[in-house]
Amino acid sequence: MSKIWRVASREYLSNLRRKSFIFTTFGIPILMIALILVITTLSIQAEAGDVNDQIGYVDHSGVLSRQIAIPDNYTMFDSEEAAEAALAADEIGAYFVVEPDYMATGSVTLYIASGGGDALIETFNQYLIANIDTGLNPEIAARVLDPVVMSLLTLNNGRQIEENSIGVIFMIPMIFVFVFFMAIQTTSGTLMSSVVEEKSSRVIEILVTSVTPFQLLAGKIIGLGALGITQISIWVGATLLVVLLSNAIPQLHGLSVPLDIIFVGITYFLLGYALTASFMAGIGAVAGSEQESRQIAGLAVFPLVIPFFFIYIFITDPNAPIAVFLTLFPLTAPVTAILRVGYSGIPTWQLVASILIMTITTLFAVWASARVFRWSILMYGKRPSLKRIIGAIFGRSEMQTTATGERAG
Amino acid sequence: MTSSAVSVAGISKSYGSFKAVDNVSFDVQGGEIFALLGPNGAGKSTIIRMILDILKPDSGRIAVLDGTLDDARKSRIGYLPEERGLYRNVPVLEIMVYLASLKGMPAGDARKRGLELLEQLELGDVSKKKVSELSKGMQQKVQFAVTILHRPELVIIDEPFSGLDPINTLTIKELIIGLRNQGTAIMMSTHQMYQVEEMANRLFMINRGKPALYGPVQQVRQDYALPAVIVEGVGDWAALPAVERVEQISDGEGTMAQAGTLLYLRDGASSDDVLQQIVSQPGHQLRRFEQAIPSLNDIFIRVVEEGVVHE
Repeated sequence: MSKIWRVASREYLSNLRRKSFIFTTFGIPILMIALILVITTLSIQAEAGDVNDQIGYVDHSGVLSRQIAIPDNYTMFDSEEAAEAALAADEIGAYFVVEPDYMATGSVTLYIASGGGDALIETFNQYLIANIDTGLNPEIAARVLDPVVMSLLTLNNGRQIEENSIGVIFMIPMIFVFVFFMAIQTTSGTLMSSVVEEKSSRVIEILVTSVTPFQLLAGKIIGLGALGITQISIWVGATLLVVLLSNAIPQLHGLSVPLDIIFVGITYFLLGYALTASFMAGIGAVAGSEQESRQIAGLAVFPLVIPFFFIYIFITDPNAPIAVFLTLFPLTAPVTAILRVGYSGIPTWQLVASILIMTITTLFAVWASARVFRWSILMYGKRPSLKRIIGAIFGRSEMQTTATGERAG
Repeated sequence: MTSSAVSVAGISKSYGSFKAVDNVSFDVQGGEIFALLGPNGAGKSTIIRMILDILKPDSGRIAVLDGTLDDARKSRIGYLPEERGLYRNVPVLEIMVYLASLKGMPAGDARKRGLELLEQLELGDVSKKKVSELSKGMQQKVQFAVTILHRPELVIIDEPFSGLDPINTLTIKELIIGLRNQGTAIMMSTHQMYQVEEMANRLFMINRGKPALYGPVQQVRQDYALPAVIVEGVGDWAALPAVERVEQISDGEGTMAQAGTLLYLRDGASSDDVLQQIVSQPGHQLRRFEQAIPSLNDIFIRVVEEGVVHE
C-alpha cells in the first residue's frame, strides 16, 4: 500500500506543478470570473450613465385619466410648458404628449433629452393599452396586458425556476457537464501520457523491479484521480463565486448550483474517470508512441460526446428509450446522467441501475486494464493485435518483453 | 551481507517452441563481481528478468537474497537495465529521491545520499537540472547513481559501460569495485571481455540458451590454455626438443591477443622443459616467456563459433 501511495503522491504533486494543469485549472475560472466582472462593470456603468429615467406625460385626450397600472417613474403634467420646464430642469428625462385626437389618430409625441426612445415607447404603449377603456375592469385589463407570469416547476426533479431565470436553466447542467468532461479528459489524458512517457523513456524497466504493475497502475489512477478532484473543486468553487457575482446581473438572476447535480456529478466523475483512465492506461501500455496513443484515445473518449446530440430529447421527452439507453450504457452514462438530472430529472431506478452497471463495468475495466498493463508494459515497437490483447485479458497475462516470442537476449 | 545473493537452479524458459533458457544453474555470492556472458540473443536478458521476477521460469528455482523475491527483497536490489532511461523533464535529484523512495528509502536520506553520489560522480552541479539538459554520459552516470542509491545488497547491471568515455568508464569501474569490496554482490552482463578479465571474480556464459562456461575467470582461462608458450627474443625455437612447431603471431591475430612467437609443445613436454632448454642452449636471448592462455575474448569467440554448450 505504501508503494501505491508513493506513486500516487508523486503523480499528484508533479502534475499539480505542470504549467498546462495550472493554466487549465486556474485559467478557465479566472477567464469566467473576469468575463462576469466585465459584464457587471459595463452593466453598472451603463446604468450610472443613463439619462434621467423619470418620465413625464401630458394627456390632452383624457385616455390616461384613470392612471391604471401607472409605472413608478411616470409623472403626469397638466401642461406641455410644465413638462418642458421639468425636462429642462432635468427633473425628467423625457415626456410624452398625448394629442387630443388620440383615440381617432393614435397621435403621441415624445420629447426626449438625448438618446433613443425605443424602450420608453414600449412602456408607454403598455401604459396606454392598460388605460384604453375597453369596458373591462382593471384586474382583467391587467391580465390581458400580461397574460402569463411564468413559474416553471419541473416535476421529475422538483426544481422550480422563476420566469426571469428560465434562460439559465440550460446553463447549469452544461457548465457541470463541461467541468466533469474536462476533468475526466485532463486527468485520464495525463495518465496515458505518463504511462507512454515511462514506457518510451524506458524508466518502466526500473520501476517494475521496485513496484508491481498493479501497484504502479493503482498509484497512477489514485494520484491523478485526486488531481481531477482538485481541479473540479477549484472549478466548482469558481462557479459558486460566479453565482454570487451573478446577483449583480439581472440576466443571471436565479442562477444557482443545485446540490443534486453536484452529488450526481461527483459520483459519475469518479466512475467515469476510473473507467476512462483504465482505457487510457491500457492504450498507453500497448500503443507504440504518444501520437498513436492519442489517436486511439480519441476513439475511447468519443462516446462521452454522444449525449450532447440528444439534449433536445432529454428536455422534451426525458424517458424516451434513447435517453434511458444512454443513461444505462456505461460509456455515455456520466454525461447523460448529469444532463438529465439538470434538465428533467431521472427516475430513481434508472439512476441506481446506471450507477450499478457503471460500477461493475468500471471494476471490470480496472481489472482488465491491470492485466493488459502488466502484459504489455515491457513490449516495445509493434503494437499487439486486438486478438492478443483480448487473450492477455482472459488468458495467461504474464509480463511480456520485446524479445518474447522472438529471440531473447 | 548475504552469502548467496542469487541462486539459480535448473531454470528453463520457452517462448512458444523457442527455448530461450535451457536448464541453467549458477549462484552469485556476496562480495564478488559475477559476469553473465553470452552472445546477443543467447538468453542473458531472459535470465536477468527471471531473477527480477519480471518473467516466470517454466521450471527450476530461483532464490534471491536467500528467498523468494518479495517486496522487501526487491528493495535490497539495484538494477541497471540495458534498455534504460529516466524522466526527461524532471530534475535529477527529484528522480533519484522518487526511485529510492520506491525502494523504501526515506526521502531525507535519499536526498542526502543522492547529493553525495552525484558529488562522487563529479555531477555535483546537475542535481537541479532536468535529465534532458544532460549529456548522454552524464545521464548514464545518473542512471548508475539511481541503481546504487539505496545501498542495495545485490546489484544487477546490464552493459554498465556502454556509451561512456574512458574517464567515465574508470569512474564507474572504481565504484563497482568499491561496492564489491564492501560486500555487495554484483552481477554484471557485458560484452566488454577485457572488463570482465579485469574486474570479475567468476563468470557464467550462456550460448543458445544453454550453459557454456561457469567458474572463476582465471580458472576458465586456464582451462582454455593452449599446449604452448609464447616467447619473445632471439633463438632457433624450432630446434628446441620440447617444441613441436612454431607460429608467429602478431597483435590481436589468431587465438592469442599478444604478439610474439608461439611454441607448441610436444606430447608429454611441459613449459618448464621448454624454459630449461632455452636457458641451457647457447644463442638464445629471452625477453618474454609465458603460458599461452587465451584472452576471454578469444574464448568467447571460440565458444560461440564452435557452439560449445554443456547439456
